[in-house]
Amino acid sequence: MSGRFTLVAGGAASGKSEFAERLILESGPLPRCYIATMEIFDEECRARVARHRAMRATKGFSTVECPVDLPGALVPPGGAVLLECMTNLAANELFSPNGAGSPEAAGTSILAGVEKILSASARLVIVTGEVFSGGNRYAGDTDTYLRLLARVNRALAARADEVCEVVCGLPVWYKRESEGAV
Amino acid sequence: MIFVTGPLYSGKRAWARKLLGCSEQGLPARAVWDVQELAADAPDLPALADRLARYEVVIATEVGAGVVPADPAERAAREAAGRLACLLAARADRVVRVFCGLPLALKGELPR
Repeated sequence: MSGRFTLVAGGAASGKSEFAERLILESGPLPRCYIATMEIFDEECRARVARHRAMRATKGFSTVECPVDLPGALVPPGGAVLLECMTNLAANELFSPNGAGSPEAAGTSILAGVEKILSASARLVIVTGEVFSGGNRYAGDTDTYLRLLARVNRALAARADEVCEVVCGLPVWYKRESEGAV
Repeated sequence: MIFVTGPLYSGKRAWARKLLGCSEQGLPARAVWDVQELAADAPDLPALADRLARYEVVIATEVGAGVVPADPAERAAREAAGRLACLLAARADRVVRVFCGLPLALKGELPR
């Protein structure tokens, strides 16, 4: 099996999460799984996570916490999976003590994890951040992070059946189902 | 001239190489990139755009979508980069935005 895969990109507060969730809800009565990538540091994080879990439970999502090591995430076979957000996962893999460490290892782990989920799922939607249009003078860790995230985004876009950038809640399609890549 | 724009590290140059069917070594003869860097010090932006438009492909990174920089020189550079991009788009036969390696036509058709 290799599920249909949509990459949803967008800036902060662009409406990308809601749009991505809609794609999953429209995919029919499949077991729904949300892969959450936020690292939980304190009580405030825990409260936030609990609230989000409860909100999604009403929509039939189970939640898998996966701040690092995407290949280790267990998803329901034949399900519809929503992974949010690649910006967190990439940062955690680079900078968390439990992360892969190097950008090479981080990219390898993330892309292997995506392949593994695709092979087990009927539907996959990945949310990623568009953080690349605000300047080009970055250095050190920030530049390393941006290069990793950009490389992962490009690889996911090449692999995906559909790619869009969400602007004000509306999708701008760069690739659509049944269209060949240019 | 084809004007190629898009976010940082979005695969603009790789896409241009594919379009022109040329190697990284062959690219400088046919394309010019990072032209947003030329804007800040240009005394005459339309003249710069005219000169750049002689290339087959002109590539600029979008730099204007973040918070307004506190530093006046950075503010001016960002402003000039945006204005240069508009001048180039006006001179171009086609304008393409490359996003995550994928092209979207903003002016004209995507080249086949």
